[in-house]
Amino acid sequence: MLELLWLIPAFPLAGFVALTLVGSRLSRPEVAYVGAGSVGLSAVVTLLVGLSFMAAPPAGGSFVQTLWVWVDVAGFRPAFAFHLDALSLTMIFVVTFVGFLIHLYSVEYMMEEEEGYSRFFAYMNLFVCAMLTLLLADNLMLLLLGWEGVGLCSYLLIGFFYKDEANSQAASKAFIVTRVGDTAMLMALFLLFAELGTLDIQALLERAGQQFQPGSGMATAVALLLLGGAVGKSAQLPLQTWLPDAMAGPTPVSALIHAATMVTAGVYLIARTHVLFTLAPAVLTLVAVIGTLTLLMAGFAALVQSDIKRVLAYSTISQIGYMFLALGVGAWSAALFHFMIHAFFKALLFLGAGAVIMSLHHEQDMYRMGGLRRQMPFTFWCFLIGSGALAAVPVVTAGFYSKDLIIWNAYNSEIGGVWLWAGALAGALLTSVYTFRMVFLTFYREATEWVRHLMPIHEPGPCVRIPLGVLAVLSVAAGVIELPHTMGSLTLFSGFLNTALPEYHGVHASYGTELLFELLAAAASLGGIWLVWTLVMASPGSMERIAAQPWARGLERLWFSGWGFDALYDALFVKPWLWCAKVNKDDFIDFFYRAVAFITETLHFVASMTQTGAVRWYATGIAVGAVVTVGLVIIL
Amino acid sequence: MSDAYLPILLIFGVSALNAVFMVALSHILNPRRPTPQKAMPYESGMIPLGDTRARFSVKFYLVAISFIVFDLEAVFLIPWAVEMRALGWSGFVAASIFVAVLTAGLVYEWKKGGLDWD
Amino acid sequence: MNPFSALTPIVLLGLTPLVLMLVISFHRSHRLAVVISLVGMALPLALLAGTATSAAPPLAPLLIIDGYALFYIGLLSTATMVVVVLSYGFLERVPGNREEFYLLLTLATFGCAVLTASNHFISFFLGLEILSVSLYGLVAYLRTTRTALESGIKYLILAAASAAFLLFGMALIYADLGTMDFTAMTSVLAAKTREPSVLLLGGFGMVIIGAGFKLAVVPFHMWAPDVYQGAPTPVTAYLTTVSKGAMVALLLRYGQYGGLLDYDSVASVLAVIAVLSMFLGNLLALLQDNLKRLLAYSSIAHLGYLLVAVIAASREGSHAVTFYLVAYFITSLGIFGIITALSDERKEADEISDYRGLFWRRPWVSGALSLMLFSLAGIPLTAGFVGKFYVLTAGVLSDLWALVILLVVSSVIGLYYYLRIIITMYLSAPEDPSSPLSATRRFSLPEGLVLAGLTVLLIWFGIYPAPLLSAIQAAVGSLA
Repeated sequence: MLELLWLIPAFPLAGFVALTLVGSRLSRPEVAYVGAGSVGLSAVVTLLVGLSFMAAPPAGGSFVQTLWVWVDVAGFRPAFAFHLDALSLTMIFVVTFVGFLIHLYSVEYMMEEEEGYSRFFAYMNLFVCAMLTLLLADNLMLLLLGWEGVGLCSYLLIGFFYKDEANSQAASKAFIVTRVGDTAMLMALFLLFAELGTLDIQALLERAGQQFQPGSGMATAVALLLLGGAVGKSAQLPLQTWLPDAMAGPTPVSALIHAATMVTAGVYLIARTHVLFTLAPAVLTLVAVIGTLTLLMAGFAALVQSDIKRVLAYSTISQIGYMFLALGVGAWSAALFHFMIHAFFKALLFLGAGAVIMSLHHEQDMYRMGGLRRQMPFTFWCFLIGSGALAAVPVVTAGFYSKDLIIWNAYNSEIGGVWLWAGALAGALLTSVYTFRMVFLTFYREATEWVRHLMPIHEPGPCVRIPLGVLAVLSVAAGVIELPHTMGSLTLFSGFLNTALPEYHGVHASYGTELLFELLAAAASLGGIWLVWTLVMASPGSMERIAAQPWARGLERLWFSGWGFDALYDALFVKPWLWCAKVNKDDFIDFFYRAVAFITETLHFVASMTQTGAVRWYATGIAVGAVVTVGLVIIL
Repeated sequence: MSDAYLPILLIFGVSALNAVFMVALSHILNPRRPTPQKAMPYESGMIPLGDTRARFSVKFYLVAISFIVFDLEAVFLIPWAVEMRALGWSGFVAASIFVAVLTAGLVYEWKKGGLDWD
Repeated sequence: MNPFSALTPIVLLGLTPLVLMLVISFHRSHRLAVVISLVGMALPLALLAGTATSAAPPLAPLLIIDGYALFYIGLLSTATMVVVVLSYGFLERVPGNREEFYLLLTLATFGCAVLTASNHFISFFLGLEILSVSLYGLVAYLRTTRTALESGIKYLILAAASAAFLLFGMALIYADLGTMDFTAMTSVLAAKTREPSVLLLGGFGMVIIGAGFKLAVVPFHMWAPDVYQGAPTPVTAYLTTVSKGAMVALLLRYGQYGGLLDYDSVASVLAVIAVLSMFLGNLLALLQDNLKRLLAYSSIAHLGYLLVAVIAASREGSHAVTFYLVAYFITSLGIFGIITALSDERKEADEISDYRGLFWRRPWVSGALSLMLFSLAGIPLTAGFVGKFYVLTAGVLSDLWALVILLVVSSVIGLYYYLRIIITMYLSAPEDPSSPLSATRRFSLPEGLVLAGLTVLLIWFGIYPAPLLSAIQAAVGSLA
């Protein structure tokens, strides 16, 4: 069964090729079968491969499938090889399954667009293929191919409605900002190849363990550069500014790429190269600090957004911050656990938001929604479950188990401490506040004028409802595969992942402390919901009263703009850069290039003069050439 | 190697320059006053009879090339015929192949009317 | 093993034009001629599969049929088959007799096969002349057209002149070494009992002239654009691939394994020729408007690149040369094939302006053409890139840094004009509705299949070059 591994990325690739070549001639249902079917097939194969992997784990906990070697020159032999272990299996499972559900959802969601139906599915399939390549890559070269591939698809899909210039600009912004991180990552690759002489991940990690001293400058440099790449892709501080704007893409894209899969590539990268990070403890601490700062920063920003998708975007940044925090304190499996659960509920929330937006004729402003609970009960319940998981409502949602694990580890780990824990806990409170603010504004309250104008509002069709339902079930039930000590201590997930990642050891681990911390986390979650209830529902208008205060207005403006990072970068980088470009428009370097072009053209004209078309001239040329050739052969 | 032939290279260069120089000089210095007599081709004092580029019928070429082909066939076959016994069967087979190839050509020429004058 | 059974591929190639000639004598049929030539090219190919592994002894003294020769014969006859398929559609559109075209074409390929398998000056010259004489006819095949006639005459005069040089060079070498057998020559040269005489070096120089003319490298290149432009497009495809490929095969065999490149002066002259070809070829192509002329110039540059790997004179070098040549065959046949297939009775699609907006009318064709041009420019994931990569590697491994750097610099110039064509295809179509669109002809099924096959191969070898490379390694391994 494991030999089928190559089929997993091959199906979406085939779908992409088919849709690119003949997509314009297919009818929409045919496009849907090809587009969603290819990802569905790859999900089935993933299931088969995963089952046989778990039934009979290969020796060493990993399975490598080398398809072919691309080129083989002087020790540089990048191969098309896939590496399957517990880590990549978890990731591809999420990508193919959530990916398939989102494709299914898109079949109906994209139906109302006038054009680009097959283009959309072609891009989406390409994205899934690239993402799977990234995850399965056995060497950093192939990983980079996938990495750039998902970046490209992200760019193409954010700018999917390219006729609106703002969307194209959002796409460019996403591409350019992540490129900053990609450059750092590329430098890390060069450095690693120069130092260790290989790009095969397993060999590389082994050699790194032998050659790098813990805490040495080289290890730190490499880990820092890799972190740069991860931060860019995963939209963490300081490269987080692109993600909120990326919501310009169609909602399924936001669900798949900018919530469930691509943005977690940074998490995957750090987990994949964890040896390098363990060798650089300072960088690992930095990862935890970045995660904590990001989750707080994005949490505050999410509090005041009015666009439902931007709330979710900031919430994604914040939840990935949690994952970074978990990586930073060495709780590798906790990060991956939260990644998986987050993929479920965040995809659910985006898809739910998409259903709402679709029903309201592309209205995304939450202040213009309201009272949708009765109009769209199914969507409402699914959305509520997703929100519960995001806010980590204790015991009943999966989000509680995954997030609580991170919060507890932030305190309990060797690297962790009170400050990280406090940050994570505050973040949990913020999360439940902004989440339920969104729920109450959208689904409760009186229906607004706009909503009444559109009544009666229909529930979406089955293609939308099935993914919502499945994801809702997963958002509740998936938590039980990893239970804390206080609740029966089940470690199916971490036990599985520990075949690929180092085991995590806590330091404080006392039963009482853990219970106390859990209760605090639960209180933060429930307290947040209570707070919003009192502000939004119990006494309508209290929020407006607070917002009217002068200090609150300034704060709101600051948070609304995402802490003003855009303005800051604009002033710090973009403006000076544009200024430099403007000043240097006609500088010496341009002159140089123009001269090169001019000389080349002149030489062309001179050379053209030899082509007279007269045969005697050509014969003369041969004669002169003959004399010179023979002369040179004899004299040299 | 190179030192020994350097003078030759110099000679090449000097003679080439000399030739170009002389032609160029006369081209620049000579007076040009063409008359019909002067522009006429020089044929050792004889008065030229018409254009040199007279046109022949293409059939002459066809006959000529056929003649050359079969003339050469004879050139190849005579040595073989002289030493036929010494060369034995392999020589015979080789000569037969040679003749067969030429015969194929002849058949083609014949069927396509290459041997008809009109 | 009967030594003649090794000769079977060449004999079959030689029989094909004979059979064609007899068939034409009695019954003219365009289709039949095409079928006979295809079968005649395919039969030796099928036999090759059986004999390729057996190391054949040299058929003293004229021919040597080893794995190397068989590989090249296979390559050349496959390319000829492609040309035959393309010619069918082309000749259907022109008046006059069509069948003799295939006669000349198969005869030329027979000459090429003799050339690649030659082990003697006699077979070398015979093969070359069979090739050249057939090409004179092919180039001027449309004898009622001015341009075809002009280019035929040009090719005839200049090729004859260069053949004279070649013959003279052979005579000089014979005068010095006392043998015309390559094997004997190699052992005499390898012994290095004395300083090479002027006779010998002069002879080498003259042979380089003869070979250089066929390869159209600077300074023997000037005929190329005129002949390429005037000749029927399938013939141009043939000129640029098969006729050059055979000469490269010979040059590689004796340049590298015959000890020719052991002489520094020969290597330096070839280096000068390579550099001049790369730069002059690319410079001349820069602003060229006629696609066929442009490809002539580009082919000059490509042969310059190829010479770099020849000069490298190493095992990697010969692998690189052969791989590059295969990639170049695929690409050139593809581009000329598209030009042929797009042309119709009214006009040949050989001006770049004919391709303006092609993408919006014929997305598949222009996609394939773009891939071909990318391959010529050496963009990754095409066969052309892998070929160029191997050539550069061979150069670097032999420490030919200057040549490698010049190659890269001139490739950059080349990029400009390849991209210019591609951009033209993606521009919007000309506005003026009254001007008839050229390049509109629909492809016939065989044409479409052949062109699609070439495109697939182009990508296939760009992504997965390993099988081709191992075949080449086996073939080149049978040398020396």
